[in-house]
Amino acid sequence: MRPVVVTGLGFVCSIGNDKETVRKNLRSLKHGLEPYPPFHNPKIPVKLIGAIRGFDTSSPDAEDWTWPSQHTIKREILRGLAPHGLYAYCALQQAIADARLSQAEISNPATGMFTASAGSASMLYRNITRMFESGVMRCSPMGIVNSVVGTLSFNLVAAFKIRGASCGFASACASSGHALGYARDEIALGRQDRMIVVAGEDGNLESILPFAGMRALSPSDDPELASCPFDKRRSGFVGTGGGVVMILEAEETALRREAPIYARFTSWGQASDGYSPAVSHPGGNGLADSMTICLQSANIPPENIDYINAHATSTPIGDHSELLAIQKVFSNIQKPTVSSTKGLTGHGFSMSSILEAAICCLALHDQFLPGNAHLRNPDPAAAGIPLPTETKSSPLHYALTNSSGFGGANVSLLFGKR
Amino acid sequence: MSDPEPIQTQDAVHHEESVIRESLKRCSAETIEAAIQFHHSGNPELANTIVIGILARFLEPDQRPKLNEECDHLRLMDDLGVDSLTMVEVVMLVEEVLHISIKNEDLRDLRTIGDVKAFVNAVARGLPPPEKPVCFNVAEIAEVMPQQPPFLFLQDAEIGRGEARGVYKISGQEFFLAGHFKDRPVFPASLQIEALGQLGVLFLLKGKHPDIADGVDASKIYFTSCNGVRSTRVCRPDDVLSFFLRPKRIKHPLAVFEGAVTVNGEKAAFAEEITLTFDYHQPVLPETPAPVAANP
Repeated sequence: MRPVVVTGLGFVCSIGNDKETVRKNLRSLKHGLEPYPPFHNPKIPVKLIGAIRGFDTSSPDAEDWTWPSQHTIKREILRGLAPHGLYAYCALQQAIADARLSQAEISNPATGMFTASAGSASMLYRNITRMFESGVMRCSPMGIVNSVVGTLSFNLVAAFKIRGASCGFASACASSGHALGYARDEIALGRQDRMIVVAGEDGNLESILPFAGMRALSPSDDPELASCPFDKRRSGFVGTGGGVVMILEAEETALRREAPIYARFTSWGQASDGYSPAVSHPGGNGLADSMTICLQSANIPPENIDYINAHATSTPIGDHSELLAIQKVFSNIQKPTVSSTKGLTGHGFSMSSILEAAICCLALHDQFLPGNAHLRNPDPAAAGIPLPTETKSSPLHYALTNSSGFGGANVSLLFGKR
Repeated sequence: MSDPEPIQTQDAVHHEESVIRESLKRCSAETIEAAIQFHHSGNPELANTIVIGILARFLEPDQRPKLNEECDHLRLMDDLGVDSLTMVEVVMLVEEVLHISIKNEDLRDLRTIGDVKAFVNAVARGLPPPEKPVCFNVAEIAEVMPQQPPFLFLQDAEIGRGEARGVYKISGQEFFLAGHFKDRPVFPASLQIEALGQLGVLFLLKGKHPDIADGVDASKIYFTSCNGVRSTRVCRPDDVLSFFLRPKRIKHPLAVFEGAVTVNGEKAAFAEEITLTFDYHQPVLPETPAPVAANP
């Protein structure tokens, strides 16, 4: 198996539209949550989102959209994109520049792209509404491509002229974890030399509000309280969107071209709860198994893990299950430091796993431990687990990150200092 | 009792105009004005301005200057980067603004800006769409051409209103290849130009062009001159030569064409001008009555 490293990152998310801003906000624990104007309605029981700044994708017509001026996008590409396609496109441009890749290094049979997205509920709704109101022959010819699950792959593989493996992953909030894991395997097995992993979420009313029907969203209108993973007061998550990109390469490929390297992508594991379509196993069984499989596949003993970036979204049941899973895997040894950066970012659904993996890479590269924002009174189930409330510089060798999706799909990803 | 005629109020007019302005908001002011005028007058003369304005709106900004007055020959896909999806967007907006309906199968035949203009012009006037190009197979070509095997270099041809296309596959059995060159058969560039000329002959005989009257005499067409000829690729047996010819000026007795030869999209030869002379069949004079004897 060939070693795999991370050589490029790109961010469009609630805590920054570039690597430096994300870094700074992780250090100072500055969150990205704010009131969302479409939620200003007494009938809507939630008020906040993790806001994407510098973009306006509120119009049904993509040609009205605006984005930061350093990014350029042709109309023929824009017309096929959902809002999260635009975010991901911009993150991808950043990641390519960050990894110092040429066009030839992106477009060849040894470079592939895996994506994760839940599709675009808002685009789907607009397209179907137009079909019923005006007739199908008055619908945009890109009405499928810009909305259904797979939209990221269709558009970005074509726009960036990807020639290697390409596939989309849909396992709810574990999607981009699966995309990263399988992308790593493509390289480790020698099928590809380089994989670009992309995830995006619209993070708008249509993608977030339906979760209020599941009673999963925080009703709080206080940005300092709404997203507080592991806190006793937690009452649900705050939704967000954006686009995050990570570039993986075979270590030998990265060394040959003298690429910047953030971290080693050491191993990954996955396991399922087999319990409920929407609620995590109360004992965290599946998540404990996915962490164990991840560590065993790399022969890394649990005591070597310095940090876990938890999935914890700030829901009462989910955070509790994850604490129990961590207690189980790290029983009878000193527990690793744990934090959930969703206190800062909000929960980006299918994108959350790659966002948190990218945060782990920054932490390993810069040697810091991200703190838990908004945590005051930890859940008693966290007894013995260090949950720092500030970000601190600290030696860091291995960082594990967890993700759990509907249906009890759990993914754990392990990154190591290089 | 029938319903009274609906009266278009000032408000309704304003509403219609604002709908047009909204639909065309990314088009030039000239296009919007033309569409509003078209809405009031139904004047089909405005259709071209509207259609070209809509097309321009969907082009990448760097392509737009190409849509000048001399752009009829530009091909939508190859020259302007308009793919089939963009064409659907163009058509949807044209349909909406001109209140016309365009069938998918009609769309497939629209290759150039000239085709688009001719098509929309006809539809806006309530006329049937312009004729599709006429196709000729090798037997049909041989039947009308003065040139015959082994000196006929067209196997398939398509004659449209403003252009002609043809194909010839080099078999390797052509008699002249034995000597051109020794042990190394190469299809002469001069014969590629000859083939373009033959396509010009077919255009004069079978094409519909406002400056060509009926009754061109196949035995009175001759080569006159050519200018700006370049050959850029060596063509060998099994290559399929594709010919493209476009009339530049036709004024009896001269017809000037521009032509290009490609192999698999790769440029092989080009002629800025190929000039043929042509003439018509002698008109059959009405029989004049025998003169009445004048001088007894």
